Amino acid sequence: MILDIIVTGIISGSIYAVLAVGFSLIFGVARIVNIAHTAFYMVAAYGIYFGTQRLGWHPFWCMILTVALVTLIGLLCYKAIIDPIREHEAAVLIATIALAMAMQEVMLLIFSGSYLSVPSLLRGYFKVLGVKVFYQQLITFGVVLMILMGLWALLMKTRLGVAIRATADDREVANLMGINESRVAMITMGISVGLAAVAGAVVAPLSTLNPFMWMHPLIMMMAVVVLGGLGSIKGSFTGAYILGFAEALVVFLTPKGAFLKDAVALSIMILVLLIRPEGLFGIYFEEER
Amino acid sequence: MGAIGYYTRILFTIFRREVIVLPSRVAVGIFFLLMLLLPAINSDPYILRIFILSSIFAIFAASWDLLSGFTGQMNFGHALFFGVGAYTAAMLNLHLNLPPWASIPVGALAAVLAGLIIGIPCLRLRGTYLALTTLAFPVILMGIVFAFPGITGGELGVSGLSRLSSSRLLDYYITAILMLGLCTLMWKITDSNTGIILHAIREDEIAVRAAGINTTKYKLLAFSLSGFFAGIAGGLYAHFMRIAGPSTLEVSMSFQVVIWSVFGGIVSIYGPVGAVFVLFPFLEFMRFWPEYRTLMFAVLILLILLYMPDGLFPWIRDKIETECPRCKVRNIATRRTCRVCTAPLHLE
Amino acid sequence: MTKKRIGMIFLASVFIFTFFAVPAWSKDVIKIGVIGPMNFLQGKGHWNGATMAAEELNAKGGILVGKKRMKVEIIKADSNEFLSITDATNAMERLLTRDKVDFVVGGFRSEAVLAMQDIAMDYKKIFIDCGAAHPELCLKVSKNYKRYKYFFRGTPFNSYYLAKTCFIHAGTVGAILRKALGLKKIMAAIVGEKAMWVDPMIGAAKKVLPKMGMEIVGIWRPSPVATDVTAELSAIQRSGAQFIFTIFSSSVGITFARQAGELKIPAVQVGINVEAQKDGFWEATQGNGNYVMTLNTYCRGVEYNELTRPFVEGYARRFGETPTYTADTYAAIKYGLAPTIEMAGTLDADKLVKVLEKRVYKVPSGKVKYMVDEKGRQTHDLTWGPGYLTSLGVQWQDGTQRGVWPYKWKPAEGVPEITYKGIVPYKIPPWVIAKYKK
Repeated sequence: MILDIIVTGIISGSIYAVLAVGFSLIFGVARIVNIAHTAFYMVAAYGIYFGTQRLGWHPFWCMILTVALVTLIGLLCYKAIIDPIREHEAAVLIATIALAMAMQEVMLLIFSGSYLSVPSLLRGYFKVLGVKVFYQQLITFGVVLMILMGLWALLMKTRLGVAIRATADDREVANLMGINESRVAMITMGISVGLAAVAGAVVAPLSTLNPFMWMHPLIMMMAVVVLGGLGSIKGSFTGAYILGFAEALVVFLTPKGAFLKDAVALSIMILVLLIRPEGLFGIYFEEER
Repeated sequence: MGAIGYYTRILFTIFRREVIVLPSRVAVGIFFLLMLLLPAINSDPYILRIFILSSIFAIFAASWDLLSGFTGQMNFGHALFFGVGAYTAAMLNLHLNLPPWASIPVGALAAVLAGLIIGIPCLRLRGTYLALTTLAFPVILMGIVFAFPGITGGELGVSGLSRLSSSRLLDYYITAILMLGLCTLMWKITDSNTGIILHAIREDEIAVRAAGINTTKYKLLAFSLSGFFAGIAGGLYAHFMRIAGPSTLEVSMSFQVVIWSVFGGIVSIYGPVGAVFVLFPFLEFMRFWPEYRTLMFAVLILLILLYMPDGLFPWIRDKIETECPRCKVRNIATRRTCRVCTAPLHLE
Repeated sequence: MTKKRIGMIFLASVFIFTFFAVPAWSKDVIKIGVIGPMNFLQGKGHWNGATMAAEELNAKGGILVGKKRMKVEIIKADSNEFLSITDATNAMERLLTRDKVDFVVGGFRSEAVLAMQDIAMDYKKIFIDCGAAHPELCLKVSKNYKRYKYFFRGTPFNSYYLAKTCFIHAGTVGAILRKALGLKKIMAAIVGEKAMWVDPMIGAAKKVLPKMGMEIVGIWRPSPVATDVTAELSAIQRSGAQFIFTIFSSSVGITFARQAGELKIPAVQVGINVEAQKDGFWEATQGNGNYVMTLNTYCRGVEYNELTRPFVEGYARRFGETPTYTADTYAAIKYGLAPTIEMAGTLDADKLVKVLEKRVYKVPSGKVKYMVDEKGRQTHDLTWGPGYLTSLGVQWQDGTQRGVWPYKWKPAEGVPEITYKGIVPYKIPPWVIAKYKK
C-alpha cells in the first residue's frame, strides 16, 4: 500500500509539476496570472484526440504537431489580448478567464460535451514492486523529468535563461541592462504555453476529455503554485510533489473519502500560507513594479 | 404646510443645481425610476424574473467591489459568502420554519462569520496569493457540503423553501428596493471616512499603518461588510429559486462576479451594478443562439478589456464628463468652463 | 449624428424591441416545450425523440382536439442544467410565459428538475420529466396533489426500482459466476461515485448482496469526475473480489472501465454505468470497456413489444445512434399526451391530468401505469415490474451492446420465465475465467 501511494504520488506530482512550473514561469517573469494555462492544456489534449482519432495519425507526430500549434496559439493570444493590457493586473486576470471560457466554448462547439478519449502511446502495464503501473504513466514521468531538466539547462546555462531569470528578479533593472524585456516576456509565454501543451499531450491518454476538464487541474495547479511560492520554479516543483502525495494519501487511506482530495490539498495550502504567507520558497517583500 | 413647501423647494434646488447638472447623476436617477416603474411598462413574469435575478446579482457584485475593488483584497472566492448565505437561510427556513425576512438576515450574519473566518488567514497575504487562496475556500466548503449530504442535501441541495413573497410583483419590488437601498448604502460607505481608509489600504497599506490606523480592523471590517451584503444576496437567491444547491458555491459563480465587476468598472459601486444589468439580460437574450452564447460573452469581455481596461462605466463617464483642472469638480463635457470656478475645462 | 451613432441607436432599439416584444401566437397549434441540456447527449435525446414524435403526429394531420385537428409544434429550450440551475429555471419560465407552451417534456438533472417542477406547477402546465429519477419529485405529488398534480414522470422509473433492478442483475450474474468458476461464495466490491443519489443504493447493496451469496470485501467512493482510479483498482484487486458492483453516472464510469480493462482486473463489472449506456463508450474506453454490464433502456436488436423496433430502428436510422432513455420524450408525446388529448377532447390541463393518471398504455419500453401509494394517493410515478417497465441489462460484447437480461428471468414463484426478444446470454471475461477456474 505504501508503494501504491509512492507510485501514485510520483505520477500525479509530475503532472502537477509540469503545469505549475509553466504557470510560475510566466508569473515570475511578466507578472501575468494566466488562468487560461490549463485551458491550453485542454486544447492540446483535444488536438491529440483530433489528430489520432479523426485524422488517424501516429500519436507521436500528433504530439509534436499539437505542442507546436498550441504554442503558436498561445503566442497569438498573448500578443493580441494580454500584451496590450499588461499594466492592469486585474484586467489581465479577467482577460485570461474570458480566454479560458472562450476556448472551452470552442471545444464544446467542435467536439460537443461527450467524453472522449485518446489511445496511449504504449498500451499495457508492468509491475513495479507489486504495483501495476501503466506504460503511459511511465512515459509521462519520463517526459516530465526530461522537460524539467531541459528547463533547468535553459535557465542556468544559456544566455536566454540568464535574461529570463534577470527579468524575473527585477524587471526595471533588467531593462536598464539592455535586455529587451517585452521580448523576454513573449518568449517566456511561449515556453509556458508549450509546457502546458506538453502536459496536455502526455496526460491526454490517461484521462477523459471534455470541455470542462481545465477547471479541476486549474485549482490544483494554483494550490501547488501558491504553496511553493509564486514565481519560484523550485517551489512549484516541490509543491507539486507534496500535493501529489497528499492526494494519493487521501485516496488510499480513506477509500470512502476519495472525493475529498481537492479539499484536503487546498487545506494544506492554506495551512502552509498561515505559517509562511509567501509560500515555501517565495520572496517575501516584493516591491510592486 | 409652509414647511413642506420650504423643504420641497430645497429639494428642488438641490435637484436643479446638483443632480441634473451631471449626466451620470441623471443616469442614476433614471435608473432608479426605471427600476421602480418597470412593472408598469411590462409585467411579463419572465422579464420580472430576469430583473429580479439581476438585482440579486447586482447586490452580490457590488459587495465584491466593496472588498476587492476598494480595499484591494482580491477575493476570488466570493461565492463562499453567497453559498453560506443561501444555505443558512435555506436550512433555517426548512428546519426551523423561519420566514424569509428572518432567515435571510441570519443567513447574512452567517456569511459575515464566514467572512471573518477567512479574513483572518488572509490578513498576511497580498495580491495574487490572496486571490488564489480565497479561490480555495468555496471549494473546501463544497467538499464539506458533499461530505454531509444528510444535512446539506448533497448535490441536490436544500429544496422546498418558502417563497420570498406571495406574488412575482411583490418579489420584484422587494429585490429591487433592497438592491437600490443596499447599493446606495454601500456607495455611502465608500464615500465615508471608513471608505477613505479602505481605499487608502488598497493604495498603500504600509503608509496607512504608518499613519497610526489599525489596518487589521479595517480589513476585517471590509470582509465582514462584503460578506454581509453577499449573504443577503445569497439568501434572496435561495428563497426566490426555492432551492439552495452546490451551484451557489461553484468556481464559476466566483468568477462571474469578478468578470461583472471588472467589466463594469472596479472601484466604483455603480460599475458592477450596471455591468450586471447589462450582461445578465444580454446573456439571457442571446438565448436564440444557444451554442454561441457563452462564446460571445467571453469575446465581449475580451473586447471591453482591450479597449476599456478600466471598465465600461468609468469609460462612458469619462467621455461625458470632465474634471475641472482647478477645483476638481466634475462637469458635463460639453461645457467650456467649470460651473463652479469658471476655469476653462479644455486646455487648447 | 454620425453613422456610428445612428447604427448604435438602431441596434439598441432592435435589442429593446425584441426583448420586450410579445410574440404573436396562433391557437391552431399545440405547443410542447422540450427542455434539456441541449449541448449534451441527454438534451439531444430529448429533442430528437420529441422531433420524431411531432413529425409522426403531424404526418397524420395532427392531434384531434374535440372536433378540430391541431398540429404539434415543439419548442426547444436549452436548460444548460449541468452548468447553471439559474439558466434552467430561466429557460423554463421563458417557455411558459413568452413561448406560451401548453405542455413541457424533458429535464435531466434532479436539482434542476426540482426547481423547474415548481415553476411549471405555478403556471399549472403538465410537465413530464424525462430524465430525473429522484423519488422526491413524485413524493411531492402525493403529499400536495392539488399543486403538483400536473407533474408526471416519463422516464426512468425512480431510483428505488433502479436499485432493485440492479440487484436482480447482480444476483443473476453472481449465479452465473458461481457456476462457471466453481466457487461457493463470490467476493464483491462496491464502487459508487460520491454523489447523494448513490448513498441509499450502497446502504441497500450492503444488505441485499450477502443474501445473494456474495461477501462484500470493500466499498470505494471515487469522485464522479475522477480521472484516475488506479489506486482504487489496485486495492480492489488486492481484496480478491471477482465481482464489482458499479454505481456511476458521470465520467468516472469511463475512467473506471478503461483502467480496469487495461489492468485486466480479474473481476466482472455489473450495475449502473450511465456512460456505458452510450454508443460512444467503446471508443471512449479505447475498447477496454469490453464485458462491462449496465442497466439500460434501449438496445439494438432487443424488443419489449411491437412498438420498440420501429422506434429504436427509426431513431438509429435518422440520428445515427441508439436512443438513450431521455429520448423517451417520444413516448411521452406520442403515446402519453396525444391519445390523452384525443380522449379528453380538450387541452385543459386539469381534465387531462384526470384522464392521464388513469390510463395504462404501451410505450416502446413496456407499459406505463401510474402508481398509487400505500395510502391510495396518486404519485404519478412509473410502475415497475414484469409486464410494465423493467428496462434491460446490457453488456458490451466485442464492440456492440447486447441485451443480456432478462434472460430466463423468473420474477416470482408461479410466474413464467421472461426473456425478451433479442436477448443473448451473458459472457464472462476470459481473463476472469482464466484466473479463477479450477
